[in-house]
Parts: sequence; C-alpha cells; structure tokens
Amino acid sequence: MSEPLLSVSDLETQFHTDAGTVFAVDGVSFDVDHGETVAIVGESGSGKTVTSESITSILDTPPGEIVGGTITFDGMDLTTLSETALQDVRGKRISHIFQNPQNGLNPVYTVGRQIGEAIRIHDHGDPEVPVQRQVVDLLDKTGIPEASARVDDYPHEFSGGMKQRVLIAMALACDPDLLIADEPTTALDVTIQGQILRLLEDLQAEHDMGIIFVTHDLGVVSEIADRVVVMYAGKVMETGTVEDIFRNPSHPYTRALMDCLPGRGGSMDRIEGSLPDVTDPPAGCRFSPRCEHATEACRSGDQPPLWGVDNGDTHEASCVYYDAEHDEGELAGGEGATGGHQ
Amino acid sequence: MKWYIVKRVLWTFVVMWIALTLTFGLLVASPDTGQTKSVMSCSASGGDAQQCREQYRERQNLDKPITERYVNYVTNMATLNWGWSESRSQSVMAAISEAWPYTAQYAIPVLVVSTILGYGLGLYSAYKPYTKADYLGSFVGFFGISIPNFWFALVLIILLGTHFEFISTYYQSGIPINQGWASMANITQLLIPSFVLLTASLAWQMRYSRAQAIEQMNQEFVKVAKAKGASQWRLMIHHVFRMAAVPLTTSFVSSLLAIFWSGSVIIEQIFSIPGLGLMTFTAITEQDTTLVLATTMITVFLAIIGNLIEDVSYTILDPRIDYGDR
Repeated sequence: MSEPLLSVSDLETQFHTDAGTVFAVDGVSFDVDHGETVAIVGESGSGKTVTSESITSILDTPPGEIVGGTITFDGMDLTTLSETALQDVRGKRISHIFQNPQNGLNPVYTVGRQIGEAIRIHDHGDPEVPVQRQVVDLLDKTGIPEASARVDDYPHEFSGGMKQRVLIAMALACDPDLLIADEPTTALDVTIQGQILRLLEDLQAEHDMGIIFVTHDLGVVSEIADRVVVMYAGKVMETGTVEDIFRNPSHPYTRALMDCLPGRGGSMDRIEGSLPDVTDPPAGCRFSPRCEHATEACRSGDQPPLWGVDNGDTHEASCVYYDAEHDEGELAGGEGATGGHQ
Repeated sequence: MKWYIVKRVLWTFVVMWIALTLTFGLLVASPDTGQTKSVMSCSASGGDAQQCREQYRERQNLDKPITERYVNYVTNMATLNWGWSESRSQSVMAAISEAWPYTAQYAIPVLVVSTILGYGLGLYSAYKPYTKADYLGSFVGFFGISIPNFWFALVLIILLGTHFEFISTYYQSGIPINQGWASMANITQLLIPSFVLLTASLAWQMRYSRAQAIEQMNQEFVKVAKAKGASQWRLMIHHVFRMAAVPLTTSFVSSLLAIFWSGSVIIEQIFSIPGLGLMTFTAITEQDTTLVLATTMITVFLAIIGNLIEDVSYTILDPRIDYGDR
C-alpha cells in the first residue's frame, strides 16, 4: 500500500488548566487515504474534536499543547511546522468545517467576501477568472440557489443549512486534499442533515478528497464512513472498517454505544456512569470503571494495546479479551462476540 | 441608509430643542445671582436700588412676558447669541471663542493618541493574554484608572517643576499668542498636562478594547478564519478588531465627554490653562449663570453629536443593524 494521505501516530494533546493537566488526546493513531472517509466516533469529551483540531494546530495554544506524536501529511510532520508553514496548509491542503454554522461566519462581511478571502489568501485558482466568479461557482456547486444573487448577502440573511453550505463552499475554495468535518450536521435538522451528507459525498467523489468525519451519531457514521475510529477518554478503543464495527462491534464500549442506538432490535440501553476525570484518568483501560466485563487485568497498567480481532488486519480493539494470551475466558454477550460476520 | 441618517439628524435637533427648553425652565426657576450683584454694585456707586434693578431687568429682558423671553432665548441660542457674561464682562460667545483653542490644542491630540494607542495596546494584550506584555499593559491600565488625575498632576509638578525644574509649574498663556500655537515652547509646556490626561483615558480605552477583543477572539468565526489559513495579523485586524469596533465606538464618545467635561476642568485648573475647563470652573465659583449654562450646553451638544456619530457608525459598521424602517 502506498503512503496514506494523512497518518496520525501516537498523538498526545494536553490542556494545561488550573485544575491540572487534561490528557485530552492520549496516544491516538489512525490513517486517512485519498477518497476515504474516516469517522471518529465518541461521546462528548472523548477527545475527538481535540484530535481533529490538533491536525492543523488550530486549537488554542495555550492552554492546549501537542506534546507528542507525529502527524504526517504529504511527507511533512505537521507537528513540527512553523506557524507560517501551517498557514499555507490550512484552507489550501487541509480544510475544516465545524459544528455550529450559526457562528461560523463573520457577521460584518458578505458571504462572497469571506469565501473569496480563502482564495485570496492562497492565491488559488485561475488568475484570469475574477475571484467573485469563482465564488459564485463554488456557491453553485454547494447547492445555494441563485448563487450570483446571494453572493453579496450577509450571513444573517441565510438559514442554518444554507450557512453550512456556505462554510462548505469556503472549505472547498482551494480544492483541499483533506476535509476535516467536526460534527457538521449536528446543529441541523434531520432533512437538512441528509442533504449535507449527500453533498459531502458528491464533493468527495469529485475531488478525491480524504474526509475525517467527527461525530457522536452512529447513524450518520453508517451512512458516510469507510472506516471508523471509536474514541473514549482520549484513547482509541476500537478501529476497523464500517462493516467490522457495525457487524461485529468488539470492544465493550463500542457494543455499549450500539446498544444505545434506537431501532436495532433489542431494548435501548444507556451506559451507566459517566466519563472519567481526564485530569486523573483511571489506571488500565479507561472504560474499565463502566465496563461490566472488566477484570483485575483491566484495572491496572496502561490502556491495553490494539489487538487484532479475528486475525483481520483492518479490525482492532483495545481490550484484554483480544490478547491471544488472555486466559480468563471469552467476552460474553453481544451478537457474535468472537464469531464475526461472514 | 440615507433616510435613516436624515431622520437621525432631524431627531438630533429635536433633542437639542428639548435640552434648551429644560435649561430655560431651570433658568427661570433659579434665583438670579447676577441681579443681586449688579444691583449691589450699582447702588454702591450711588444709584437708586429700584432703578438699578429695573435697568438690570431691562438689560436682561426680564421685564418681558415669559413666552416672549422663551422665544427670544431659543432664537438667541440658535443664532449663537449666548448672552453676556457678568464675571468676564464680555459676551459668552467671545469668552468661548477665546477659551476653546486652549482646550482643543491638547484635548484633540490626547483623544486621537489615546484612541489609537489604547486600541492598539488593548488588541495586543488580547492577542497575547496572560503574558508579561499583557500583565505590563494591565498594570499601566489599572495604574491610569486608579491614580486620580489631580494627584498625579500635582506630583508631576512638584517633581518635574519644583524639584528638578525641568518644566514650568504653570501654563504660560502668552506663549501661544507670541510664539504661535505650534511653537516648540507651547508644545513643551503642554506635554505634562497632556500626559496626565492621557493616562486616564488611555487606560480606559485599553481595558475596554482588550475585553472586547478577547470576547471576539472566542467566536467561532475566528476559528473558521484561522482554519482558512488567515495570518495572525489578518485574524486580529480583519476579524477581531473589525467586530470589536462596533461596541468600541461607544467608548470613543464617552472618552470624548470625559476629556472635555471632567478631565479638562481639573487639568486646566491645576496648570492654569485658560481653556473651556477653567472657564467652566470659574463660571461656577463666580456664580455666572449665563456662562455656566453655556458650558453646560456645549457638553450637551457634544453628547448629542457624539451619539449621532455613534448611531450612524453603528449602521455602517454592522450590517445586522436594521435602519430601514426606523
């Protein structure tokens, strides 16, 4: 396999607060390829947003700090780049869209000017074509009706869904190789959510973009993702293709998440307890205090490494039950805990 | 927008008229100290008291019916005929036109410098919060706000004027007349009063713009702009300051008023600068009602015009403010 588009390896991001150091992202690794969608899934506070914002270092530093690991993109380690070099990457090679389109646009500038800003900063596109023309094309492509009439409107004249389309147009202004979408549909109502997901899929096919899709919504994951990274308290719990994760959820946390999904047969459950204190994470597996299968081995040492599930090379879970040398029996419960799908 | 500005300007005239009417009411209701004084000095020089009083009342048009006096008063104020100052034995307009250049020569530069420097330092503090530069800025800011102007001015006079004899301990009003307003000698003697005035207004603008900028920096659109690849400079000027400029126009007007009304009265009294501030102060102590009213009206007009500028700049700076149907 050739070099992946983006390779995050052992990323550690911490926040220095008055209450102590927050280990927001603690040794996270994953790859993204061209044309591939990787979903980072987890509940609020699991570190998925911090992971996504560490990639281009747009998180606030201080209090945030990337303390370890590498982020390899096109032969560069993004964690060692200077601020000016990062500015060349941001918006041009790697773009972001965020959760809340309502506040994502500066209220005092027209949407056209704000999309044009991205083009002007990076001197992108054909210099013969006026920036305004390029902006109208972008708005057109993201499905804004009467784009040429709306380009000079201000953000407050757009609805939430339309604003997210404007923000997507802005993110795509310089044809990025990678799009990082942090819960882009969470603030939108369900019908608009579907439209935005379709739009992202179409644009991805057209530009062969890699997408990192951060969400807590497993329904959305099953629709859009190729591969899934399940995060909990700053650690990766399980990773695999979307089939691996949905047909054979292997880590007890992933299974518990699945059980919270409505309409999957059995009763809807909730996960007892709450996220651990990330300034003082529990020893062993981060999920062990809430895990019904936890044994003594789970509560000591560090987070277990990612063990291969079913000898597959795509599917890994950070759980002692998948350690070949583990001898405390099989993980009970769940449909096909060790059998896997066919 | 054009209509909004026209309406707003017309409304300004209505407000000024209300202010004039209120002061007229106060004037009628208050005892006329000028009359007592004038009658005393007139009869002291051998005149008949009753006759003196009538002469005074005639001179001040007090013998006319109140409606006519009201109309005369408003017309006079509107035509800049602001009456006679008993204490200065000159017309109020002449007193004002003599005094204002002395105030404007330092107040306008202080206003400009404190605005540019205050916003600049505030923005810089916000850009690097909780660093040494920010703490130094905050220290200077709180120092300027906490130290009373009059005390700081006196300390500087004692230190630089009396002890080291670097500067004159008072303002020599002949210098601008003999050597010109822009002469080195005049600028030098204005440095300390300007500095004292600057510390207070600079501090306030710095603290306020820092707070506004920090608030804007946490907005999501700033993160979006950063993710777009915008440089730090572009983020601070183009996005943060541009948004903060909307509420900051408010502090511009209030600092304008603070300099003219409270700052100049204290500074001019201490340094003996014969400007509007000193004129106001002596008018009050001498109980020269017409002159006190005139200085009050200047403040009122400054406030009204400042608010007009503020409202108009709001609609220019923030497209969300709807002025279509007001």
